[in-house]
Parts: sequence; structure tokens; C-alpha cells
Amino acid sequence: MIWKIAKKEFLLNLMTFKFAVGTILSMVLMAVFVPILAKAYQERLKVYDQNVAYNEGELHKVVVYKNITPTIYRQPSVLAVFSEGLQKQLGNSATIQYNEVPEINAAAANHYLSIFSVFDASLIFKIVISVLALLLAYDAISGERERGTLRLMLSNTAARYQVLLGKLLAGLLVLVVAVTIAFVLGLVILLCLPMVDLAGSDWIRIGLMYLASLVLTATMYNLGLLFSCLAKRSAISLVLGLFLWIIFAVVIPNASVYLATQIRPVEPEDKINRQIASLRRDAQREFVTELKRSGRSYMSGDEEVSDVSGGGFGHGYLRSTTETHIHNELINCSIGVPIKIKYADKYAEVEYGYLRGLFDQTRLANNISRSSPICLYENVMSALAGTDMASVQHFIDAVKTHRKDIIEYMRSRTNNFGLAIFFTPCTEEEIKTRPRTDDAPPLDLRDLPQFSYKGDMAATLRRVVPDLAFLILANVLFFAVSFAAFLGYDVR
Amino acid sequence: MIRQIIHKEILENLLSFRFILSLVLILLLFAVGGFVFVGKYRQQSSDYWEKTNENLGGLKEQSRQLYRLAFYRQNIWRKPKPLALCAEGFEKSLPNCFTFDIFSSDLPEIKGRGNFTLSHFSNIDWAFIVSVILSFLALVFTYDSVSGEKEDGTLRQVLANTIPRHEVLLGKYLGVLLTIGIPLFIGLLVSLIIVVVSNAAVISGLDWLKILSIVLVSFLYLSIFILLGMFVSGRTAYPANSMVILLLIWVVIVILIPSFGRIISEVSGKAPNPAELERKLAEVSTEIWSNSERYGERAGNASGDLSWPGNNPPARARLKNALTDAQNQAREDHHNKMLAQAFTGRSLTCFSPTVIYQRASEAVAGTGINRCVNLREQIKEYQANLKEYIRSKDTEDPQSLHLLFPEGYLVGAWRAISHNPVDFATVPKFQERDLAMGQSLKLAIWDIGLLALFNLVFFAAAFVSFLKYDVR
Repeated sequence: MIWKIAKKEFLLNLMTFKFAVGTILSMVLMAVFVPILAKAYQERLKVYDQNVAYNEGELHKVVVYKNITPTIYRQPSVLAVFSEGLQKQLGNSATIQYNEVPEINAAAANHYLSIFSVFDASLIFKIVISVLALLLAYDAISGERERGTLRLMLSNTAARYQVLLGKLLAGLLVLVVAVTIAFVLGLVILLCLPMVDLAGSDWIRIGLMYLASLVLTATMYNLGLLFSCLAKRSAISLVLGLFLWIIFAVVIPNASVYLATQIRPVEPEDKINRQIASLRRDAQREFVTELKRSGRSYMSGDEEVSDVSGGGFGHGYLRSTTETHIHNELINCSIGVPIKIKYADKYAEVEYGYLRGLFDQTRLANNISRSSPICLYENVMSALAGTDMASVQHFIDAVKTHRKDIIEYMRSRTNNFGLAIFFTPCTEEEIKTRPRTDDAPPLDLRDLPQFSYKGDMAATLRRVVPDLAFLILANVLFFAVSFAAFLGYDVR
Repeated sequence: MIRQIIHKEILENLLSFRFILSLVLILLLFAVGGFVFVGKYRQQSSDYWEKTNENLGGLKEQSRQLYRLAFYRQNIWRKPKPLALCAEGFEKSLPNCFTFDIFSSDLPEIKGRGNFTLSHFSNIDWAFIVSVILSFLALVFTYDSVSGEKEDGTLRQVLANTIPRHEVLLGKYLGVLLTIGIPLFIGLLVSLIIVVVSNAAVISGLDWLKILSIVLVSFLYLSIFILLGMFVSGRTAYPANSMVILLLIWVVIVILIPSFGRIISEVSGKAPNPAELERKLAEVSTEIWSNSERYGERAGNASGDLSWPGNNPPARARLKNALTDAQNQAREDHHNKMLAQAFTGRSLTCFSPTVIYQRASEAVAGTGINRCVNLREQIKEYQANLKEYIRSKDTEDPQSLHLLFPEGYLVGAWRAISHNPVDFATVPKFQERDLAMGQSLKLAIWDIGLLALFNLVFFAAAFVSFLKYDVR
């Protein structure tokens, strides 16, 4: 019986004006959005390639070890076409320096573009298809009551639960059609464009995105069905449904962020400057103590040196130098650089204290926004697209590890920063035949540790599953309440 | 007769479920917006005054020696405005700190209590409530204005009278306008009362005029949606169909098209790239330093000891000035490209009334991206003034070399600018000037005109479709 009702409902809904308009609109929007978003992705990929090539070129120009300061770039994710997340706000690169630990930072992007809101393909599912779901569901029960067909159906041997289940099944099937058409269209357009190729893990993510879109649409349909079972007239259920939709889609995402900034305000950045200044003084003091302990002392004498530029990454290097200067500089480096490396971690801790405040505020905003299914969907989509904060944090952690590798490499090649090649290419004989004006040969960096990064699928899934579970729970909850309401519904 | 129709429409709407829901939602939003604005304004004001006084204190310190005034890096912060209650203009995500000395200025930055990991959100200012929520409600009230009455059977009864069709239409329009006007008006009053009673912000007479203009523009915007609702309602026979069409049109106009602007400029490939700016600056620097002889002999070498024969102060001054000018030019180009991106995005999406309304209310309230641009221009003027002041004060000192160039250590060591103290009261200090009412209106006049045009188009469309409507 359920199947019969479902089939009738399915065919009925498929042939309606609203379904046609909704599906056509979402198809048109997909066809317009995806090429534009893909083109933006291609531009970003081009810039990424340029930056990586520039980085490689500079590595080949490096003349002294302390100039090894490569910048690691994060490859733009093609799935950001579906969900932009925080991609435009968070920086996608980190520079490796021995005296500073890289951390999540704001993108040095065009601030003026914040007058526009986020734009990605999931907007179509969040807004257009969820409205379509609501429009299909709002008159499922109350509309039939008004038309008089509900009492005809129930005067049969059809049980109430069969009717409701049939309507649910039909509505979900119709919406599956709509979502699938839109999703597949977007995917096809994306694949047709050059420079886009998807790996195996990307396909798993796309599958999960599809699943999430289906669950969101089902949630909105169940919501509409709930109001339909509660109201006597369809007009009331429509108005209620639309109000709740606007609260879910517009009010809660903005209000949650708003409330988080009020409940947990952030300290201004300059507060940590004092701590960092005092840490710098500590570093100075420690240097002096270590110097005394080592028993070495500075020589005095001729210190005429010449700096030239072109040592890679925009740094210069010492081309000509004297014995005195080399002696003094060696003291500075062999004692000073390990201290700088140690203190880099301490500065990073202070910075992280400030960042933790920011992260807490963001987490609070996220938790408050979980009351809207549309925000839950957004969380899932941006986690799958690799554009949420946790993905960027994972990348930065990988860069931190790479930095440690590079520091170890520098340490091993310069005998714990005690060799002159750390800061000048001058050899013993060259000191005598100065000044030199030619360029020194670049270092042989063939065995420099390479950076490789793979996205962490397991961690992503761990983030995504709770939100998906919440959505499915919301579905079950809405359906349970509408079930209870329908059992007592007056069908005359 | 028209008055009776208006009367009937208002009464019918007032007693409906949707009106009560709308009233509650709108009042809640305006009240919350008002409270949060007051809290934020207080905090922003105290931050602003603290930072500005710090800046002035530093300036006073430097006025002990004239040359140090030239190198003091001032931080000018954006002043919080009371009219941000009406149209905040996304100012919390726009740059709010401008750092500069008289030779060059940095690109504007966002500093302070911002959280870059938080997704951008719209503030609940009046512009948001009107452009998103109230326009939605306008559609909820008018979707069944024609087709619903036809379904109920009352439309043919009204038209069986001697009343002409256009009067019925006009009556409905005015009825809904007044109905929407009630929650809007009460909400505005609640919001203004909260702000005035809290004494957090000082609203001057000019500000009241601007508030009134913004209210009028809001009515103009809402009437577009009312007319749109009536137009679509007059094209369909069933209110359910018109609701579907209207909802989807609303989604496209209010939510989708405004976000479109962001992506347009990225696609054109002219997005300014910060890494490229760094490379350009390095390139410019290398080029000038390697051709240092162009500016005079031995311009490339310098020592702090004026008596060293290798020094050539005028040449060095020329070199450093040329370098700073070239770098400033590169930064200026980059900044202009960023602005062009934002403005192009906005102009291309101008066929959505929401974007036009946002722009108009920002222009009248004096906030938003135009204000940032204006502030930067004013800062550049101030830079030039301060430079002139330093130069003219410097001519009074016979001992200085009268060379003003951006190398602090050398200027100090060579006495290239006088070391005499100056009276702090005569030093020009930066004050942001608000736009006059006439100027703000001039900026907004095109947008107001566009809104009026939309109104006319939709009114004509509604009129024509209702004239041929089958009322049986």
C-alpha cells in the first residue's frame, strides 16, 4: 500500500509547476556558477604554479645556508568549487625560517572583497533546493485536506502510517531526482574543463558531498511535512515553513557569529607584544650567559665587509670579509642560532595563546550555528572540500615538521652552525684576495628534504560524521513528531 | 473608493497570522541589532580614543626635534560612526588601520579585535533587515494579492463595482505598503530609542537628516518588492504558483546575485597578487641601487660622518627619494587594483535592487568601502600638509642642509633637517572630515534613481498584467 501511495505521489509531484521551475532554476544556476568557479580555480592554480616555480628558482640561487627560507604553498583544492569555506580568509602558504615557527595566518588577500559574501556551488543546494523541498512538502497533508482527497484516501483500508510513509518516500524520491540532476550537471561541467583532474580520494569526498546534499534536502522536506501535519490550512504551514527557513538560512548563520563575538570577545593583538618583547630580552640575556660560559671572546680588528644581494629569496650575503669578522660572526652563529631556534618555539607559544582565543570564539560560533541544518551541511561540505580551518591547520602542522627537518639539515651541514658557510661563502684563501666582486657559486642542495603533503582522509571523516549524524537525527526527529501529529489529525 | 480598499487591505493584513509573525520577528531583529550596536560602539569608541591618544602622544614626543617628526610612523584608525546602526557597510572586515610617515604609507590593514578564522557575517544593521528580511516579508504579503483573491472569489465581486482596475491595484499597493510600514516603523523607533537612551553615540542634527533619507530609500526599495509580488501574482491563477516563482526570484535577487560580485574579478585574471607586489618592490629596489650613479657621484655609498669625502648628500637624497617614489607607486598600483576589483564586482551585479540599496544606504550613511577610499585620500592630503610644514619650519634653521629624504639615520646624523624643537600646537594633526549632506546625496543619487526606475518598471508590468487579468 505504501508503495502505491508513493508511486501516485511521486508522479503527481514530478509533474507540477513548482518542481519544474525549481529544477530548471538549479540547473541553470549550476551551469552558470560552475564554469565561473572553475575558472577562478584555474587562476588560483596558475598563481600556485608560479609561486612554486619561483621558490624552486630561488633555492637554486642560495649561496649560504642561512638564506634557505623557502615558502611552502598549499595546493588549491578543486573541490572548493563546491564549498568555499574559509579558503579566501586563511593564508595558504607558510615561510620556513629558523628563527620563527610558521602558524595559521590571515590571507594577505584583498580586504575590500569582504563586501561580498561567500559564493560557491553549495549555495544552490543550501538555498534553492531546500526552498524547493519546503514547497513540495508544505501542502502534502494540509493541501490534501483542503482539496478533500485526504478523507477519501483514509476512508480506505490504508492505515495512517502508510499514507504518511508513502508521502515521505515519494517526496524524497522526487527530491533525489532534483539533487542528482543538479549535482551531476555540476560535476560534468567541472570535469569537462582543462586543468581539473580528480584523484581517488576526491571521488570519495564527492560521494560524501552528494550524500550530505541528499540528507539536507530530506531534512527540509521533513520540516515542511511536519508543518503540514500541524496546520489545518496550507497557507499557515507555508508561512511557518518559510519563516523557519529564513531563520535557518539567513538569521542563524549570522546571529551565531554575532553572538560568539559578544559572548567570548577577543583580546586585541598588541597585548601579546609585551610578552614577546620580554622574551626577546630573555633571549639576549641567555646569549650573553652562554657566551661567557663558552669562554670565547670577540676579536677586535679590521671589520670592513661587503654585502651583496642575490643570495636567494631576496636576502643578501657576505661576499668579502676579514678574519676578525669571520671569527666574531662564528661566535654569534654557533651560540646565537641554537638560542634563536629555542626561543622561536617560545614566541610561537605566546602567539598560540592569542590564536587559541580566536579558535575558541570560532568554535563557539560553530556550536551555536549547529542549531540550523543548513549550517550543519555547510560544516560537512567545507570539511570535505578541504577548505575549513582544520584542514589548513593540518597543512601548517606538516610545514612545522618540515621546518624541523630543514633545521636539522642546516645543522648537519654546518657542524651545528659552527662553519662559516652558514653566513658567507668566503674560504681561507679568498679572505686574503679581497675585495671580491663576482658572484659566489650556489650551494648544492640536492639532498635538501623535500616537502610532500597529502590530505588526511581519516581526520576529515572524523569531523564530518558527527555533523552528518546530527542531520540524520534531525530528520528522524521531525518525522517522528509529524507522525505523532498526523495520527491525531482531523481529516474532515 | 480607493480609501476603502486601502482600509480593507490594511485591516485584513493586520489580523492575519503572517503579520503577527512578521511583527515579532522584525521587532526582535531591530531590538537585538540596537543592543549589539550600542555595546560594540562603546567598545570601538574606547579602543579608537585609546589608540588615537597614543598616536598623538607619540607625535608630541617626536616634536622635540623637527626631523623626527618626519620619520614618526603614525597610525590612524578609522573612527566608529553612529550611522553604522543604519548601514554598517561591512566595515568590520574592511581595513581600519592606516600606517604612514610623511614619505610613504603602508597598505591599509585590519588590526584590533578581529578574528580572521571567523567566517564573515552581515551585521544586523537596518540595511540587512530591510534588504533581506523585509523584502522577503513583502513577498509573503503580496504573493496572493491578486491570485489569492481570485481563488477566494472576492476579486470578481470587487471589480463588479464601478471601481476601475487601476484603483484596485493602487489600493492594494498602498495597503500593503502601509502594512509593511508598521513593523518597519515600530522597529526603527525601538532601535533608535535603544541607541538614544543608552547615550553611547551622539547623533547630530545632520545625522537625523541622513537617517530620514535612509528610511525613505528603504521604502523605495521595499515598494519594488511589493510591486514585484503583485506583478507575479497577476500573472498566475493560483497563489501557490506565484509563491514558488516569487521565492525563487527573491533567492536569486537577494542572495545569489550579490555574492556573484566576488568571483567576477577573480575570473578576469586581474586579481592583484601580494607575492607579485613583493617581487616588484624587490625588483625596483635592485634596479635603482645598481644604477645609483644616475643620481650623482657616489650616491650609493654613505657614512654617518658628514666629513667623510665619500658622502654626496644631495645625490643620496635624490636616490632615496626616487626609490621611495617608485615603491610608493608600485604599492599604489596594487592598492588601486584591489579597489578596482571590489568596485567592478559591485557595479557588475548592479541589476539586483539589493546591491543598489546597499550602495545607496552606505553612501548616505558615510560608511563602507567608499569611506575607506575617502579616508585614504584625506590621509594623503595630510601627509602632504605635514611634509610642507616640516619643510617650511626647516627653512628657519640656518644650520640644516635642507634635504628631506627617507633615510632616518643619515638625516639625523647629517642634520639634513633641523634638530630644533617645534611647538606641538602648530603641528598639523589628522582629523577625519565627514561628508556634507549634499555630497553624500550626490553619491547616492544614481542609486536612488535606479531604485525609482525599478519601481516604475514593475508598476507598469503589474498594471498591464492586471488589466488583462481573468477574474472569474
